[in-house]
Amino acid sequence: MVDKSTKAARGTVQCENTNINLLKANDFVADIIKKEMAKTGTLLINVTSSAGSGKTTLMQKTAEKLKDKIKIAVMVGDLETERDADRIRETGIQALQIVTGGICHLEAQMIHQVLDQFDLENIDLLFIENVGNLVCPSSFDLGEDYRVTLMATTEGDDKPKKYPKMFLTSDMMLVSKADLLPYVPFSVEAVTKDAQEVNHELEVIQISSLSDEGVDEWCDWLLEKIKQKKG
Amino acid sequence: MHETSIVNSIFRTLEQEFEVEKLNNMKAIHLKVGILSNIEPRLLYNAYEAFHMTNPIYQKVKLEIEMTELKIKCEICEHITNVKNYRFICDNCKKPSKNVIQGEEMLIHKVEFDD
Ligand SMILES: Nc1nc2c(ncn2[C@@H]2O[C@H](COP(=O)(O)OP(=O)(O)OP(=O)(O)O)[C@@H](O)[C@H]2O)c(=O)[nH]1
Ligand SMILES: [Mg+2]
Ligand SMILES: [Zn+2]
Repeated sequence: MVDKSTKAARGTVQCENTNINLLKANDFVADIIKKEMAKTGTLLINVTSSAGSGKTTLMQKTAEKLKDKIKIAVMVGDLETERDADRIRETGIQALQIVTGGICHLEAQMIHQVLDQFDLENIDLLFIENVGNLVCPSSFDLGEDYRVTLMATTEGDDKPKKYPKMFLTSDMMLVSKADLLPYVPFSVEAVTKDAQEVNHELEVIQISSLSDEGVDEWCDWLLEKIKQKKG
Repeated sequence: MHETSIVNSIFRTLEQEFEVEKLNNMKAIHLKVGILSNIEPRLLYNAYEAFHMTNPIYQKVKLEIEMTELKIKCEICEHITNVKNYRFICDNCKKPSKNVIQGEEMLIHKVEFDD
């Protein structure tokens, strides 16, 4: 778009070249969260996906597998309901619902506001289940150590190029609902190729919360990252 | 939608950056946003209009949005590639790169004030 204002300068107009990030207010709070997490050595993971790709089910599964080894807690962002947090609590770990009231993503401020409800000293791993959508959550840094994106075999394998920002900013792609691979037209190879064209550092695990495929590999990845964070 | 949050964030950021008196004389805000930013100009203009209904003090402030194309600079050969079809691969040496130099920005690039 042509910069009309500089052409049509009239009267005395004063210009300031600012070049400030328009999400600066968010990123400032994200930094505060990072510092809080550094104090206690708590690993913070931001889990994103389209709606219904299996985030909550995976949180439940991960909690079952790891709760005897480490202390886990979860924050769940949802447009309206408390359902997901209830499901996670059933596995015996602390879960807090952040109802966004129609906002389609979580912002750092929303996380920071509820942070004091967690005893971070005693939490090794804090998950944030983001609102299900691959667009808006990609722009908002929540101060996480890693961003993990689920891509279900039921949603078609063209997502990485449709939502490149999410895959560019993720560290791990979990190809979820892998148990359904025999029944759906989905190529893990094609989705991995596309995703790694966007982000060659992206790690990929094929996973199913139903059949347990890949769950141990995922848990080992988490344990390794927790170890690194604790130093 | 997140356009509303973005408009809110723009004004929150400007309010941190400038004095109130100065903001009262604000005339235009120029954004520079990359195609990777997930910002859809049309939706953002709409959200901007809607914002003024509840915040009439900034009613007269114009919004200009400039979109930028996606470019990477190779870490190995320093070649600059225009990224097409989201293939983040150097045109020259064919090595993958995440070194985005343009197309990811979400900037308040320039602000105009009346004297
Ligand atoms: N076959 C199969 N179904 C799964 C798997 N994981 C989750 N599901 C089903 O997929 C549906 C959605 O799962 P959720 O875990 O609620 O997905 P979500 O990503 O948390 O959904 P939102 O929070 O609404 O975005 C449920 O009916 C699950 O039972 C899996 O590994 N295999
Ligand atoms: Mg869920
Ligand atoms: Zn190169």
